[in-house]
Amino acid sequence: MATGASAAAGGRSFSFKVVLLGEGCVGKTSLVLRYCENKFNDKHITTLQVRAGPEAGGEPVPELPGQGEASFLTKKLNIGGKRVNLAIWDTAGQERFHALGPIYYRDSNGAILVYDITDEDSFQKVKNWVKELRKMLGNEICLCIVGNKIDLEKERHVSVQEAETYAESVGAKHYHTSAKQNKGIEELFLDLCKRMIETAQVDERARGNGSSQSGITRRGVQIIDDEPQVQSSGGCCSSG
Amino acid sequence: MNLKSERRGIHVDQSELLCKKGCGYYGNPAWQGFCSKCWREEYHRARQKQIQEDWELAERLQREEEEAYASSQSTQGAQSLTFSKFEEKKTNEKTRKVTTVKKFFTASSRTGAKKVAQEKIVKQGQLGRERNADNILRDLKEIFTPSWELASPTEAEIQEAKAPSPSINRQASIETDRVSKEFIEFLKTYHKPGQDIYKQCKLFLDTMNHKRDLSIEEQSECAQDFYQNVAEKLQTRWKVPPEKVEKAMDQIEKYIMTRQYKYVFCPETTDDEKKDLAVQKRIRALHWVTPQMLCVPVNEEIPEVSDMVVKAITDIIEMDSKRVPRDKLACITKCSKHIFNAIKITKNEPASADDFLPTLIYIVLKGNPPRLQSNIQYITRFCNPSRLMTGEDGYYFTNLCCAVAFIEKLDAQSLNLSQEDFDRFMTGQTSPKKQESDSFSPDVCLGVKQMYKNLDLLSQLNERQERIVNEAKKLEKDLIDWTDGITKEVQDIVEKYPLEIKPKNQALAAIDSENVENDKLPPPLQPQVYAG
Repeated sequence: MATGASAAAGGRSFSFKVVLLGEGCVGKTSLVLRYCENKFNDKHITTLQVRAGPEAGGEPVPELPGQGEASFLTKKLNIGGKRVNLAIWDTAGQERFHALGPIYYRDSNGAILVYDITDEDSFQKVKNWVKELRKMLGNEICLCIVGNKIDLEKERHVSVQEAETYAESVGAKHYHTSAKQNKGIEELFLDLCKRMIETAQVDERARGNGSSQSGITRRGVQIIDDEPQVQSSGGCCSSG
Repeated sequence: MNLKSERRGIHVDQSELLCKKGCGYYGNPAWQGFCSKCWREEYHRARQKQIQEDWELAERLQREEEEAYASSQSTQGAQSLTFSKFEEKKTNEKTRKVTTVKKFFTASSRTGAKKVAQEKIVKQGQLGRERNADNILRDLKEIFTPSWELASPTEAEIQEAKAPSPSINRQASIETDRVSKEFIEFLKTYHKPGQDIYKQCKLFLDTMNHKRDLSIEEQSECAQDFYQNVAEKLQTRWKVPPEKVEKAMDQIEKYIMTRQYKYVFCPETTDDEKKDLAVQKRIRALHWVTPQMLCVPVNEEIPEVSDMVVKAITDIIEMDSKRVPRDKLACITKCSKHIFNAIKITKNEPASADDFLPTLIYIVLKGNPPRLQSNIQYITRFCNPSRLMTGEDGYYFTNLCCAVAFIEKLDAQSLNLSQEDFDRFMTGQTSPKKQESDSFSPDVCLGVKQMYKNLDLLSQLNERQERIVNEAKKLEKDLIDWTDGITKEVQDIVEKYPLEIKPKNQALAAIDSENVENDKLPPPLQPQVYAG
């Protein structure tokens, strides 16, 4: 299937789509905000309370630490002379939206699966996502499994050994991060980009250099055979 | 003739049987009491009058449209209004069967003309009892003809360029002309490649005109191929710098899609329209869903927030009125930005996708945007793919797709409700508002809220009072029971141990009687009076 990689006239440049998956409240948003804008919002902890009753949001707290739409962020990188445009798509993690996953991760080059090291359940969710992604997108997609919140090491409920063994078994890379302390995040994204470039190049070579030098990629080769078929409107991006 | 006989219908006066016009022939109730000849005359006259009226109406409509058009010329902003009117008509024409339904959906501003047309249809329904369906159809055609019959698909380009008299077409062509002019102006900045681009576009439009019979997927394929080819040529052959390529692509998309819109938006060959209606119906059936059920992190009691919500709804509804896929996407993006603002104000922290998606779903439910599926399909098929793949617009569009998918599949579980509650709400037996007085919909005003609270309080008091009365009654009963019980117990004991007077008592008296010597006792002392 097509990648978002494109070689513009002249220097090489790639554009990649990366989806962020994971249960609600594991720190997906914090992670990406830290990476793209180097911001961390302690108040994020309140998310749950506010959820419980929207009325609670009434008292205004002065100063907004993080502005900007945290659910869609872009970052421009230069890796070994290759220009990379990274588009990071945050997804809704609540269980009730799980079925919508395929609409989000269609055509993505990479997926970052985040779990909370203090929450065993969130790791189980990651396993589900991996299974689904491999089924839908095969090995074309670069997977990163991320154990977030290592600043809460004391409350760890998911063992390092277990997580790393699992990641290896499904061909994913495992990382430990802390959005709060800004640990491991830069590394995670850089690594992911390098892997995506590799995959894209391999893919290009496989397709034969001749025709694929084209500038703007054709919207993905349509994979209708095992289309998830979530629902009728699911066709939104595949042919777009 | 007396009343009774008339009622039985035995005796009828001769005069009542005769033609009402008094020509001497017999009349017929089927002809409203006229004879056949007079009826024909009368009917003919009425018909002429009706036709005359219809004509006047049609002319008035035309005039009104001319005026609207004129005013749109003078004021720039009104352009979209007249355009939307055209759109509305077009929709009506294409789907006459569902006109009435669609009328509620079309968000564009109502104009006098539209109302008149509606009134007319109603009037015809009342007056035209004797007129057959053909007549009505003919009149409808009078109203709607200009919008569709004059534009046959094969000659679309010519039609648009020449714009025959009916004002509606002229307005449409003005829109396309304007876009063309802008396009040409834009291409001038590209010098030589500009001409080539223009030629390519023209060629593409011509090919598309010959491909009207193909399925919409194939037409979409053609458009996508075209986008790709042009983008390639821009980069390789015409050596346009990359940053300008995107701009050029946007302009090209605008130019070709403005022209293609009416053929490829919600085409009759697909079931897009059916899906549109299904979604509309579904959203209406879900009118009872509250923000709390969806866990929407937006507090509409804050005026700023509710303002944002209204703006977001307006944006998403406005999407339908745009012709170019990119413009439609821009509406979705604008709507999303407003949602983000609303969340930010409510929560005082950056909004994540966890917050955004539920809110978008809520906005879609609240706004019920017209022709949602058609728009999604249209964008999917004819948008420049590079935009949908990675850009921000693409992200929001994907979220909208997700929202629609969620709404379609929504069930009790996804709202954290029990199946029974969900079913009851869906069938309209109860509404959640009545059930829990705490969760008011945010648009209920304060007074009403206070009233509900007071009612609540009153019903609580009532309940308490009833409880007190009940308990008092119970106490009374208990007391009665208690006395009864005591009486019974006493009786039982009395029965068990009856009072027996034993004969021994006499012996005792005998003992007393033995005291005979009592008589011998001296008499008691008597008070004595001493004089002295």
